[in-house]
Formats: sequence, C-alpha cells, structure tokens
Amino acid sequence: MKQSISALMDGELFEDEAENLLGEVKDDATVRKNWAVYHLIGDALRQPDHIHCDLSAKVRERLREEPVVLVSRGRVAKRKIRTWAISAAASLAAVSAVAWMSLQISPEGAPKMAMQQNAARPVNMQTRPSSNDYLIAHQEFSPSAEMDGSASYIRTVSYGGDEAPVKNIPNEK
Amino acid sequence: MKLLLVLCGLMLASVGNVYAEERSASLDWLETVAFAGHQTDYSGVFVYQYDNRVETSKIIHVTEVNGEYEKLESLDGPQRQIVRHDGQVWDYSDHKAVQVESQQVSGKFPSLLPEQLSALSANYQAKLLGVERVAGYNAQVILFQPKDNLRYAHKIWVHTDSGLLLKAAVLGDKNKLVEQYAFTQLQIGGDIDRSWVKLPQNVSGSSAIAKEITPANSGWTVDMLPAGYKKNMEILRSMRGKHAPVTQMVFSDGWSAISIFIEPNDQDEDDVDGLSSRGAMNLYHKVVDKNLITVVGEVPPRTVMQVLESVRYNGK
Repeated sequence: MKQSISALMDGELFEDEAENLLGEVKDDATVRKNWAVYHLIGDALRQPDHIHCDLSAKVRERLREEPVVLVSRGRVAKRKIRTWAISAAASLAAVSAVAWMSLQISPEGAPKMAMQQNAARPVNMQTRPSSNDYLIAHQEFSPSAEMDGSASYIRTVSYGGDEAPVKNIPNEK
Repeated sequence: MKLLLVLCGLMLASVGNVYAEERSASLDWLETVAFAGHQTDYSGVFVYQYDNRVETSKIIHVTEVNGEYEKLESLDGPQRQIVRHDGQVWDYSDHKAVQVESQQVSGKFPSLLPEQLSALSANYQAKLLGVERVAGYNAQVILFQPKDNLRYAHKIWVHTDSGLLLKAAVLGDKNKLVEQYAFTQLQIGGDIDRSWVKLPQNVSGSSAIAKEITPANSGWTVDMLPAGYKKNMEILRSMRGKHAPVTQMVFSDGWSAISIFIEPNDQDEDDVDGLSSRGAMNLYHKVVDKNLITVVGEVPPRTVMQVLESVRYNGK
C-alpha cells in the first residue's frame, strides 16, 4: 500500500490504479494518514519554507459549529464593503485561531514536524569513508569541473561537519 | 490594422533577436571561462560557502609545457591538499599522497564541446546581468536559469579582461543560495610560485589505485532522468577500497552531471540507505537487489532520489 502511495505521488500509477487508491484514501483513515505522512516526508526533503500541516479536520470541525446566517440579498449588497472588511478580519482571526488550536490540541505536533525537517536536512559527507571517492570520481567527468577547474574539488577538500547521516528516507520494502 | 500587425511582428522579431544575441553572448562568455581557466596562470585565495559554513582555500594554477598543474589547499580545518596535473588528481591528507583519479583521456581542449554548449542553451535560459566588482576586478555577471526545478540555477561572475571565473553561486528554489565560491584575493599572471610543480613520487603502490577504466554496457538503465540529460559514458572502473569493479554511468545536461555507481553490495550491513550533501553536491545510496547504487550530482536532493529510484536492471 505504502509503495503505491509513493508511486501515486511520483505520478507512476495508471489512471485506474490511481482512482482506486484515491478512493481508499477517501475511505480509510489509515491510508489517509499514510498519505499525509508521505507528503510530509516529501516536503521535509524538499525543505520548503512552509511545511504541510494538516488543519483540514479542525477546520471542518469549526465550520460545522459555525451558525448558518440567512440574510436577504438586498441587505447584503448594501453592506458589501463593510462585510468584506469584517469577513477578512474574521477569517484572519479564524486562521490564527485554528492554527493556535491545533498547536494546543497536539502539543508535540509542531516540534515533531520541526524535528523531522531538521533530520531530513541533508548533512555532510561523513557517511562512509569512501563517499569522497564517489565525489571525486564523479567530479572528473562533470562539465562543472571544466568551468571551475580544481575549485570543484573544494567540495572534497572541505572538511564538512560531523553530523550523522540522514536515515529517515522513506524506504518501501 | 495591417500597420499595427507589421509593427507587432517587427517588435517580436527584434525581441527574439535580442534574446538570441544575449544567449549567444552568454555562451561566448562560458567558452572564454573554460579556456581562461585552463590557460591562465593565477594564484589566489577563495572562500567556499555552503550549508551555513565558510571555508577558505588557496589555489595556484600554472601551465607548463607538459600540461596544467594546479594545487588546492585548505587554509582552515584539517590540512588537505589536492594536486592536479591534467587528468590526474592526488589527494594529500595525513602527509600521504593518494592518487585518486587519473583520466587516461588527455587533451581536454577545447574544454567546452559544441554539443555541451547546445545542451546548455536547451536546458537553461542565460541572462547577462551587468558588471559587478569581485576581488578588486570587474566582472560580468551571467545567470543561467534552469527550465525546471530538477536542477539548480547558476550565477557566475567572469573577469571581463582575463575571462577567469571570479565567483560562482548555485541557487536553489526561490533563489536560495546553495553554495558559492568567491575569490577574495587573486593574482593573475606575473610571478607565481612553481616550486611545488612536480609529480608526487611517494605514491605507495598499495594505496594508489590501479586505474582500470574500460567502456562498458552493464545492462542497467535509468528511466527518470530530468529532461535534457544525455548519457556521456558508461565505464567499468576500479575504486579505492572496492574489490569488485564498479560501473559508473555519467549523464549531463551541459552544466551539471549525474553519476550513477553500481556495485555488488559486499558490505554486510543493508543499512546504507541515505542522502548526504555538500553544498550543491548531493549523494544518495541505496541497496537494490544486493547491489549498492550510489547517485551523485550537482542537482537538488529530489533529483538524485528520483534518479536512484528509477535505476533498474534491464538485462544485457
């Protein structure tokens, strides 16, 4: 299942397979969770400025509680500008409220995400003693070596950090 | 109305012209850079900035009758030196010379092949950005913007007189700096120290790699390379610390290259999966069907991962 989710995200599934899977995502909470986690991992790897945070459940909850306001058309038109201004303010407030709430509800949610992003950040080549050999072997045939000359070897001269290698890449078995 | 159409046409034509001119000017600059980098004697200090780090290195480059010599020395951190003579590279760490690379294919001139230039202009959009000062010299700034997000943008500062590369930046998503080289001090021509110019004698037989490079066709294929990447070569090579020969495939889009290494996984641990990076260079290891596959390239992490996931054995 995880494999097909990953395949779907990469656009490698056929249309009917994708439809089946999307159906399952809709119906099955576990699959939906996997789907969200895979996107989170993908986002963390791509290191965007904003990371995906699932607010949909909470937004839905809030919307359900929201009273339905019925107003005649004429009155709405008259107060258009003011309503717009108020609703903008209200939705801003709602967004921050929801964001704040989600932090309150799952206090470990945000730090966990931050941690994940941190860990997924690629770190320096200290993985295996021979990583540098791959770099140099690659460099020799790279056109960028033509541009920079030895400067391109600086990546291999540089001593890098001592952080541990990244291991939390999604690994479908 | 007709007049308007004609005017529009003329305007479009001239815009196209300007664009084409700019592109060819940018490519001319690149050719100059590649040529000057090999033919000019220079020595200088430059900083390499990556992953929130800054490292300083010294570089000396001279051309002798029998080819180029280049010495690169780290000025901070552990002492390390890399000496290059044409295609041969020695790595001096811990007072020991180890020959790490020796390309038998000599005569790399002209260093930028016409195919490479046309690949470049197909995959990147070049823009001349004016003149700035770097290390006390005037430099033409050129930006190469990729046409998708599977590669980095490159910005270079080229000395307007000598054509030497004074500064080079690699930019990722949203023009975020991935890495950058910049000379802080540079002497072009004149009296440059050549006392170090000799081939290392103390290369011990055991640590030097017997270089066996043979063209090969291993039967491995890659399905998900970014558009515009063409296979440059496939070889079977020996590598330091490896018993079995390693297959290396190299693909390039004119600017950056992706190498794929395939070897039998002779280490017992399966736990070698992982992504690591240094500046713009990303490396991803994974064991697939008892083979250790390593993808290295000056491309974003997502690209090395995408490429690795699509490597498969297609039979001979």
